[in-house]
Amino acid sequence: MQRRKFLGLGLGAAALTLAPVSMMAKNYREALPKVWEIKNSGKEDDLSGINEAIKAIFGSDKAEEGKVKLKAPEIAENGAVVPISFKLDKATRVAVLQNANPEALVAIFDIPELGIPDYGIRIKMAKTGTVVVVAEVDGKLYKASKVVKVTAGGCGG
Amino acid sequence: MRIKAKSKGDITVVKALFKHPMLSYDQAKKKGKEANFIVYITAKVGDKLVYEASTSQFLSKNPYINFKFKGNHKGEEIVISWIDLKGNKKEGKAKIK
Repeated sequence: MQRRKFLGLGLGAAALTLAPVSMMAKNYREALPKVWEIKNSGKEDDLSGINEAIKAIFGSDKAEEGKVKLKAPEIAENGAVVPISFKLDKATRVAVLQNANPEALVAIFDIPELGIPDYGIRIKMAKTGTVVVVAEVDGKLYKASKVVKVTAGGCGG
Repeated sequence: MRIKAKSKGDITVVKALFKHPMLSYDQAKKKGKEANFIVYITAKVGDKLVYEASTSQFLSKNPYINFKFKGNHKGEEIVISWIDLKGNKKEGKAKIK
């Protein structure tokens, strides 16, 4: 009798409960392997590769401007080291993308419970392009973009 | 790796510098080497995850990162780990000032 009851509970509980993102340590190289391969067309004004990657990560590419404060240099003399930083009050996930390199995705950050989304990284940009930061906040997407002019490309080594 | 971690009021600020060639696929091709770059970085204080990043070939060589997290953790230890495309792992520790 007890066993039957237990089995019944088991079946009902098979419905997947999505844990809050912050509780699951996630290596996106393993979780979303294909997203790192999404390509940019190479055209300076074309953000389609970026948008395709955003959709693959977040499920949508509809993001509002706002909430994200993005700092990037207007002119980067050394494309091998371009400092990028972003800041917002809270977020569950943030992605950094660009259309200057062969592939669009640079990094994905899952913001842990104790995390404060005020981060800085240094990236490579092969040529002039747009850097986009997208953040997921309470189920909605927000973004900020900046064009970075690169005078000496940063992928040639 | 070099780590600087400091708590001020209710916030802890961390700066870290890793040593890694971060060879992108294009760069590797030109040099006749295999691409390899850091793909995943985490930072923990005790058993709490305070930073998590999945990264690509497009982070600069010898990556520098900076981040913040909540709380004053002066005296505690922060452990930063990374793993690269080939599966190499590295871990660094620092006392939070």
